[in-house]
Amino acid sequence: MIIPALISTRHEYWSLAHVYAPIAIGVFAIVFLVVLVSILRYHRRSRPARWHENNPVEAGYAVLLTLVAVFLLYLTFGHEHRVDTVANRQKPSLTIDITAARWVWQFSYPKYGIVQRSGMVGNQPLVVPTNEAIRFNMTSVDVIHGFYVPELEFKHDLFPGSVQSQVLTFTRTGTFPGQCSVFCGLRHPEMVFRAVAMTPSAFAAWARSKQRTRS
Amino acid sequence: MTVQSPPLSAQRRRSAGWIGALTSTDHKRIGLNVAICSLGFFLAGGVMALFIRAQISQPNNHIVSDQTYTELFTMHGSTMIYLFVTPMAVALAVYLVPLQIGASEIAGGRTTLTGFWIWLLGGLTMESGWLAGGGSGRAGWFSYTPLSEAQYTPGIGQDLWTLGVILAVSGTVLMAATVTWTIARHRAPGMALLRMPVFTWTALVSVLMVVGSFPVLVVAMILLYLDRTAGTHIFVGYTGAIDYQNMFWFYGHPVVYVMFFPYLGCAAESIAAGARKRWFGYKAFVASMIMFSVLSMSVWGHHMFTTGGNVNEAFAFTSTLLLVPAGIEYFDMAGTLIGGAIKLRASLLFGLTFFLQFLIGGLSGIWIASPVLDYSNHNTYFIIGHFHYTLFAGSIFGFFAGVYHWFPKVTGAMLRERLGKLQLVVMIIGTNMTFFPMFILGQEGMVRRISRYPQHPGWGTLNLIESIGAGIIALGVLIFLYNVWVSLRRRVPAGADPWEGQTLEWWTSSPPPPLNFPEPLPPIRSYAPLQDLREEAEERQRQQEEAPA
Repeated sequence: MIIPALISTRHEYWSLAHVYAPIAIGVFAIVFLVVLVSILRYHRRSRPARWHENNPVEAGYAVLLTLVAVFLLYLTFGHEHRVDTVANRQKPSLTIDITAARWVWQFSYPKYGIVQRSGMVGNQPLVVPTNEAIRFNMTSVDVIHGFYVPELEFKHDLFPGSVQSQVLTFTRTGTFPGQCSVFCGLRHPEMVFRAVAMTPSAFAAWARSKQRTRS
Repeated sequence: MTVQSPPLSAQRRRSAGWIGALTSTDHKRIGLNVAICSLGFFLAGGVMALFIRAQISQPNNHIVSDQTYTELFTMHGSTMIYLFVTPMAVALAVYLVPLQIGASEIAGGRTTLTGFWIWLLGGLTMESGWLAGGGSGRAGWFSYTPLSEAQYTPGIGQDLWTLGVILAVSGTVLMAATVTWTIARHRAPGMALLRMPVFTWTALVSVLMVVGSFPVLVVAMILLYLDRTAGTHIFVGYTGAIDYQNMFWFYGHPVVYVMFFPYLGCAAESIAAGARKRWFGYKAFVASMIMFSVLSMSVWGHHMFTTGGNVNEAFAFTSTLLLVPAGIEYFDMAGTLIGGAIKLRASLLFGLTFFLQFLIGGLSGIWIASPVLDYSNHNTYFIIGHFHYTLFAGSIFGFFAGVYHWFPKVTGAMLRERLGKLQLVVMIIGTNMTFFPMFILGQEGMVRRISRYPQHPGWGTLNLIESIGAGIIALGVLIFLYNVWVSLRRRVPAGADPWEGQTLEWWTSSPPPPLNFPEPLPPIRSYAPLQDLREEAEERQRQQEEAPA
């Protein structure tokens, strides 16, 4: 059996962005040049042309636009399928429950009995192993919040009365900022946390030491 | 010989002065009233934006309190959307559509007038929140539940905000409804639907969307108001929150296009007049407007990609398809320029800048129509940059194209061209300094609606550049106000048709008299009847020259 590679939202984002961005820049450059050249060429004329329609050219152009849309959608659906469906079918090696409240992040690790809290009540980071699929179960106790780690190029909203799951993978070690992405009231700017990604062995050591200090 | 004046029903029993101006059922007076009031709201919303930019120009400023900051961004967005860009779009339609289709009056002028008053009352209600103890509305311009419920945002300011939205949006619906009715029933003989001018088509699809989608917001806001004040529990729990978002964005995405189409029409008319060539690809343009409006009623879920409450593929599909009608508009713009005899007037230059700057908003819009890209960029400054490129760098430049194009018609006086071009250059610099760095900051993870970001000192430089740019935009707006003031004080008379206009509003005097057209209308055989006359005259002259002596 082939073990599929882990899905990285960061990788999915950038591989798609690297197709979208050049197309966008190219389109802008073409339109800008057309406008500039038309102005330079036609601003000294005294008599305008009379033609104002060319249905075959317009129809051909509309078909071209449709093909571009189809191409972009084809790419997007492929990447989205991997993030939304395939990733969540992976068997996670770790589950972390995220509970958001005004203006606190609580990350609990049921497997280890560890609870980390960030935001207005502390600065305990979200600690994760790299290159392992992690299931995040997300909920809120009051208003809508948003779990957002720019390193992952991913965010998801947390609602009261609903637990939503997403399997995510960190691919690099390091300390990364995270923040609430949905306005949640007065102290929204302070609803921040850090994500510390470490190698699986370092993570295991961290979890053990954390359990020791607890008991 | 005595000149028989038409029966001036619009003038009957009208008092003079302020009372007369504010109770007139003449569509031109109502349109102007809405435009002037919404320009006042624009200036107020702009001042709020300057306070916002001052606060976040550095990572840890304390220019305004956190509480005031939440009020500022809520009221900035609400003022600009409910009280300026949308009503201004409708005001343009109320003023121009009857003229462009050769009608003497708007249908149901009293209803239009009522709409104006209800809208204005709503705006004043919303802004009166600034005086309320505990602050104004402060849950964001889309005020998601549960945050906007009384439990989390108590106080009369948020109640006034909710009431204000109900009234302002209801008034807008009434005004838009009368424009729809006018187009349906009051077109001049010969003015078939496929002979309506380009601006009128953009106005028609806009008012149809207003009538079709805005009532949903009114209902949502009434339900929210009941939740807040009458103790109901309508928007409760996850489904309640998702219901609210679906209802809000069912209004909130069509409104984006209501805030776009009429300004596109302004840009198109000013470019056609400046190129002295009629708008290219009219039939494809009309088809694309219809496709645009149908699609834009079915894309609202792309605001909710990260909620897990909608089918993302469906909304990614409709949202990405928007590039087809949008691309056709750009093709038509290029087709109008090519072969033209372009006069580089302020109105044409504002119109072209509208197209180019809006393109940045449009391309970034296709970007975030992809759920995978939106998962990262949603609710960051990337989004703020995206929609300010569409709304400010786009629609507002289209608005100024329209102002420079139609100011002579509305006032009978020309605006100063050189001041207009100065304003354009200043605003291009300010706009791009303010809004382009937002894409970079958003990509780096700066989320919206934060008053401080001390943990990211590196973001200070780009934010400072943005704040300086905001000041430059304000300077551009001041140049515009000075231009209006000086042009009205030392008037350069415009005459009926200073631009070689192509549509019927240039057939009548400037400003047009009550009932619009004292003279019989020319024959209407296309979407540019005055251009037809000009081309026929040229043709006759050419034949006479060629005819053997």
